[in-house]
Amino acid sequence: MFFGEALKPKELLGLVITVVTVIILLYEAFYVNLTTGGIGTKGVVSTHAALFSASFLLILIGPWLWLGEVPLAVKKIIEAKTGTKAK
Amino acid sequence: MYPILLLVIVLVLYGLAYVFYGKKLLEQRVAKADPTRLTPAYAKFDGVDYVPANKYVLYGHHFASIAGAGPIVGPATALAWGWLLPLVWVLFGNIFIGAVHDYMAIMASTRHGGVSIMTISESVMGRKARYIFLIYVWFALILVLAAFFSVAAATYEAVPTAATMAILYMPLALLFGLLVYRAGLKVKSATVLLLILVFLMLMYSFYAPTYLTYEGWVIVLALYSIIAAALPVWYLLQPRDYLNAYLLWFFVALAVVAPLLVPVIGFTGPAVIGFAATGALLGAPAGTFPAGQYIAWFWPTVPLVIACGALSGFHSVVGSGTTSKQLANELDALLVGYGGMLTEGAVSSLAVILPAALVWDFASIAKSAGISLDLLLKAGIDVAKTPNILGFPGAPRFYTAYGFTQAIAWSRVFGVEVFPAFFTGFKTFAAWALTAFILTTLDTCNRLARFAWVEMFEWLKPKTLSNPKGLSGYGVLTNRWVASLIPVLVGGILAYPTIPGVGKPYIILWPAFSGTNQLLAALALLTSTLWVYAILKVRGGPSALMLIPALFLWITVTAALLVWLVLIVPYLPPLYIAGAGTITAVSVALDLLLLALFIRGILLARRA
Repeated sequence: MFFGEALKPKELLGLVITVVTVIILLYEAFYVNLTTGGIGTKGVVSTHAALFSASFLLILIGPWLWLGEVPLAVKKIIEAKTGTKAK
Repeated sequence: MYPILLLVIVLVLYGLAYVFYGKKLLEQRVAKADPTRLTPAYAKFDGVDYVPANKYVLYGHHFASIAGAGPIVGPATALAWGWLLPLVWVLFGNIFIGAVHDYMAIMASTRHGGVSIMTISESVMGRKARYIFLIYVWFALILVLAAFFSVAAATYEAVPTAATMAILYMPLALLFGLLVYRAGLKVKSATVLLLILVFLMLMYSFYAPTYLTYEGWVIVLALYSIIAAALPVWYLLQPRDYLNAYLLWFFVALAVVAPLLVPVIGFTGPAVIGFAATGALLGAPAGTFPAGQYIAWFWPTVPLVIACGALSGFHSVVGSGTTSKQLANELDALLVGYGGMLTEGAVSSLAVILPAALVWDFASIAKSAGISLDLLLKAGIDVAKTPNILGFPGAPRFYTAYGFTQAIAWSRVFGVEVFPAFFTGFKTFAAWALTAFILTTLDTCNRLARFAWVEMFEWLKPKTLSNPKGLSGYGVLTNRWVASLIPVLVGGILAYPTIPGVGKPYIILWPAFSGTNQLLAALALLTSTLWVYAILKVRGGPSALMLIPALFLWITVTAALLVWLVLIVPYLPPLYIAGAGTITAVSVALDLLLLALFIRGILLARRA
């Protein structure tokens, strides 16, 4: 379900959030830091620091929406151990 | 005293405690752990909270969840009494109370289908006990959230390179989970790959500070704890905490190696400064009457300062909350519960107290280590302004001492000229480690507050399946997001303002958080003792070994909280009288009710 079949709207949204967040992370952590010597400005809430810290939250949401159901590997272990169908 | 001697004493004590007190007594004679019994992780698997985990993964999760700011900031703050008294309390509390309490909470929960210690209290103390316990825990968790938001935000503001590492670490942890669970990569291969990436990111973060205000960080952390607490455990919590276990081992290993590199340099700090410190230690604002009075007596007030390093009630909520739901085998519980608590004690004794005792007097340690005062200044330590470690507040006291000790040790290998660079590097590492542990605690804490909240309103649950949401409001009240939002909102409000005469709010919030937390430990240990006595029918010596420390702790903490409520709270700003003061006063009242129910439970069990 990485890219093999059509994505549901929730998964597509998750994929978009993931891609955008990774771009923000890389841009702020590497480009902005290497050109300005830091992310943001001491003592104020700057756009760069706000974007970078927002990416900290968005990276939790994006992949979850995109790939968020219980992985097959975990389900199989449970079914083998309990003998019942896992959720 | 030489650091290497202290190191040997601590390691031998912990080794003996694990084998004789943990394995021989608790596992084999009290809990009688059985590897063939199906655990709730399998029996009640739901893919969100009940998910079996590898014992090392679970150890990582459990340790990372229990080790927040407590084992670090508490002992660092307690150095106001000197280094010996806090060390004795950490070792005693760890072996005889904390580790026993954690292990028994996990085992009791595992035998009851993974339910919380609060629900277990119902089976031994009655229905009222369960609801009183739930309310108590929910309030205590709010104080944990408030104190930890404040400590983490203050650390990110003071060490902006640690903030960058914390942000870069999150996608790496998620990547680990996806590689193992989805891409089918072997755990070992994924671990090696991720550890290399983490190391590279850590190196990079030394040159990449993230500047955000204290208030900005409080908001980010509050949002983080809401989101992270709602995610399935296999997605973030298990992989991130597994990696955190490596961070912890590396962190403790460095603390163990450092004394070996400086075998002939003795401690520069005083073993005992005094049995009483000023009220400022308990959060009294500067300029108020108690701030200058010597009212912080080591006994009984030590539990208001040292929390999780010695013992913690929060651990019973974690152990019977997220950990027992992931336990794959009953025999794993000793490593996870008892071993996890001893490891946390090692953090306090070896990574906090030992480094601080060593580098206490900066000029003196610099002279012993052959480092000039100019090099110290280059590293950012001005001996004229800050002559000793007590010149820093709790959290900076820890990462300064840890960074300083490591820099001295490694500069003996690489030359003294590397001291300033090593000091900065290890200080960042220590600050990041501190906040990494806090972050895991924040989301586990909010998850547990959600569990407690949902359990609290179980009496509203609709009886019919045809109308599952019901008209009672149960559906709305227990909604995952609503249940997560309320404690974070209250905790965030308490953590947000910077207070004149105090600084960051965690200085005021700490005694309230620590005291209610320690009282919770006493109550949870009493509950476990009653469970052992009434349900497992273990009588005599083994149950007395649990009961006596539990009662001693209960008396100590209750007395300490009364001291704080009477002598300190009236001088706090109004928000904190209404918030931390009220929560603590309510907690003491609930505590007395629970004690009465415990005594009744013991009497009933004796008659049965």
